[in-house]
Amino acid sequence: MSRLASIIYHLSRLILAGVFIYAGVIKGTDPVAFAGQVANYQLLPYAWNYLVAAILPYIELLCGMLLLLNKRVRPAVLVLFVLNLVFMLALSSLIVRGIDIDCGCFNPDAESKTSPLMALWRDAGLMLLLISVWMLRYRQHPPGTNDGD
Amino acid sequence: MNDRHLSPTLRRILLEALILCAFAMAVGLSLNYRMVLNAFTGKTVTGPKIFNAPPAEQSPTAPVVEQAFPDPVELEELDGLLTEGALLVDARNAIDYAKSHLQGAVSLPLGEVDARLAAFIAQVPKERPLILYCNGFGCPDSFDLGVRLLQEGFQEVLVFEGGYPQWRDAGLPLEGEK
Repeated sequence: MSRLASIIYHLSRLILAGVFIYAGVIKGTDPVAFAGQVANYQLLPYAWNYLVAAILPYIELLCGMLLLLNKRVRPAVLVLFVLNLVFMLALSSLIVRGIDIDCGCFNPDAESKTSPLMALWRDAGLMLLLISVWMLRYRQHPPGTNDGD
Repeated sequence: MNDRHLSPTLRRILLEALILCAFAMAVGLSLNYRMVLNAFTGKTVTGPKIFNAPPAEQSPTAPVVEQAFPDPVELEELDGLLTEGALLVDARNAIDYAKSHLQGAVSLPLGEVDARLAAFIAQVPKERPLILYCNGFGCPDSFDLGVRLLQEGFQEVLVFEGGYPQWRDAGLPLEGEK
């Protein structure tokens, strides 16, 4: 990997690690409030919002930690890619249904509001970072090599 | 997808991603099992946060004031209480109430309680049991409204913590514009 590619890889990896560790910690410390944010999407039955609120922060936290440590990067990126795709579908459904709520992406108790459209753009940016990390890691360790992932 | 079309590396990445998810799920569920269990069995989810809130600190010389708190009530108890004449009180804002509310509920938003309490007291006898609700999910409005109504002299004030979403998801009747 060239020096520039290496800088882009590590920078993207660290940004993603920071974002998802922060998101996981902030949601995991108040899962009931986060369940309320999930419920605002009006996609799941009552109790399932609590199930999502119990699990999702730990997926984000674990993947963020792996990215920070530069270990098992591609499995973590794959999980976060799928997760982000689900977030983007949920946000799109809010826009289609005309529901204007705070996305609940980070702090469930935050007074400032992030609109679904703004959150969608942010998630699109995260997707680009995830793809960059995947591709650059892929170039560093092509299939069939022992990449230590 | 057929595994035979995946390279060993991709298969390994997929497997590790699944293990990662399973591990995170195990951690999340073990730390929050009580919350999830309560939600799926229709019990009060926010018990420690709301119903067992520690009393406010008082100086040693201040007189001890008995503070009354509303009791929690579960979804399955509501039918019997409503049959006995309890009144459902919606503590959410007026816009949410207008859109949709529990059948038979009256509106008394916590944010407008000062303006609307006199009319409420004039219409509802203080002996009548009240069942307060808001938006579930740790929403504290019904509990705070319950404390206020107890201070105003209402004798039996209960809080249905699952609130609007639990009632709706149980398929129970709703009223409103929707």
